[in-house]
Amino acid sequence: MIIKNLLKQYSGKTVVDGVSFEIPKGKVVSLIGPNGAGKSTVMSMISRLTSPDGGIVEFDGKDITKWNSKDLSKKLAILTQTNNIQMKLTVRELVAFGRFPHSGSKITSEDEKIIDDAINYMELKEFEHRFIDELSGGQRQRALIAMVIAQNTDYILLDEPTNNLDIYHATNMMKIVRRLCDELGKTVILVLHEINYAAFYSDYICAFKDGKVSKFGTVEEVITKENLSHIYNVDFEILNVEGRPLSIYY
Amino acid sequence: MNSLSSINNKKIIVMTILSLICILGYVLINVNFSDRELLIFAFKIRGPKLAAMVITAFAIGAASIVFQSVINNTIVTPCLLGMNSLYTLIHTAVVFFLGSGSVIAANANLSFITDVILMGIAATFIYSWLFKKTKHNVLYVLLVGTVLTSFFGSIQSSLTRIMDPNEYDTLLTTLVANFNNINTEIIVLSVVLLIFLAFALRKELALLDVLTLGKEQAINLGVDYDKSIRRLLLGVTLCIAVATAMVGPISFLGLIIANLSRQLLKTYRHTYLVLGSALFGIIVLLGGQIIVEHVYSYSVPISVFITVGGGLYFLYLLLSRKQV
Repeated sequence: MIIKNLLKQYSGKTVVDGVSFEIPKGKVVSLIGPNGAGKSTVMSMISRLTSPDGGIVEFDGKDITKWNSKDLSKKLAILTQTNNIQMKLTVRELVAFGRFPHSGSKITSEDEKIIDDAINYMELKEFEHRFIDELSGGQRQRALIAMVIAQNTDYILLDEPTNNLDIYHATNMMKIVRRLCDELGKTVILVLHEINYAAFYSDYICAFKDGKVSKFGTVEEVITKENLSHIYNVDFEILNVEGRPLSIYY
Repeated sequence: MNSLSSINNKKIIVMTILSLICILGYVLINVNFSDRELLIFAFKIRGPKLAAMVITAFAIGAASIVFQSVINNTIVTPCLLGMNSLYTLIHTAVVFFLGSGSVIAANANLSFITDVILMGIAATFIYSWLFKKTKHNVLYVLLVGTVLTSFFGSIQSSLTRIMDPNEYDTLLTTLVANFNNINTEIIVLSVVLLIFLAFALRKELALLDVLTLGKEQAINLGVDYDKSIRRLLLGVTLCIAVATAMVGPISFLGLIIANLSRQLLKTYRHTYLVLGSALFGIIVLLGGQIIVEHVYSYSVPISVFITVGGGLYFLYLLLSRKQV
């Protein structure tokens, strides 16, 4: 996936300004940056939820806006922060929606197996017949991830998956992201607020500031005292824990 | 999952039986079987009314469920947003500008088609703009909808005030349609229109289950969201036009039957929800009409019951929800 010169304006104000980078296949890539830096907007343009005002997102050698939406949904899945599902829906029924791009409304026995696998993978077996609105935030988030897994796409885009989760669930979420990449060979693109999660669980980091890419590279290249201080306008200290840069800010 | 859908199948069967009982009751109660003339007379009166009420139940039931799913909120119905006032306004405007003697206004079917086409265009334009502008924020949508209702109503009453009294007289008979004065001339055309709608929108209707997951999820799963929403909204508008043309505006019916259906069936599957809503519609309308005709001897119109009951139910729905 290649991103070239993306541009987005909201009522005359430029929120994303000439963003270009390339997403390596089979890796975990985190987008970080302060509020309003444009990372979520970039994310929604990569996933065709918003159309860019300029520039192009090239996916499998073809402009993403030229893709047939149905074909794209077999290759790329996105999970946003806003998931207010009003319907009475059980976990299993939600996960089954992940098969929609492949089988439509008719679930085959092969789909049932994939749904089972996704539910087991996210350790949701005991909740599978519970209604979504009766679950805790962490469980609901896992159910949504299970749906994305059932969708079985090469690319998985997650917009702030750790938002509203406590430390335990957030850490678990990041471990799952790592496993999606390592065990299932997915390319995972995340928007993250917690720099240390990004540093510990990603392969590449793209740091945004004022709608522009401030720095893109491997974790070691991006997570340095100078870079972070520049991006966030806050003093940083970098420690080395288990071979990974851990940042402290105050 | 299987146990749940088999329970729902049973519920639907029970409701179908109840609806059939209502239909039979409506046709057969207090009919004099000994006199053939009287029997035919009774059926002549009751038959078209029955047909109109069943059509209304289906039109409003389906429209309300689809509309709620499209804007992802279960306390809003097309009528609360002024769709039937819009229809009344269009109907009045057509008579006002063309004159009641013109071909279009004088022929019931022709005037119905004209109304429906104008309604389709106007409503799609107004409501898709409204949703886009308010970003589907339900409180704004409701607020603007309420304002629109009285706005359309005011224009309509201004038009009737400056109208020629004779014209107004002709208009009134078609305008104040109610369950005791049903517009029977357009029954055939309405059925044709509804069947055509169901056929034309079959793809979108199959997508309804996915659409209720919200815009982002629907796009993620490969649905052409904007186009589907536009087409469904047009379908909703036309259903409301059919119902309003036939029996006049009944504001709370859609709210009652759609929510009863959702409460009873507890599922996201629209095949069940739409069917349940339509069956509830038949039960409420025919049951209510039986009471109106045989208990109150027409002294109280059924819309009074529906409005009072619906109003209370609406308050209950609003207050029992923790967040809107």
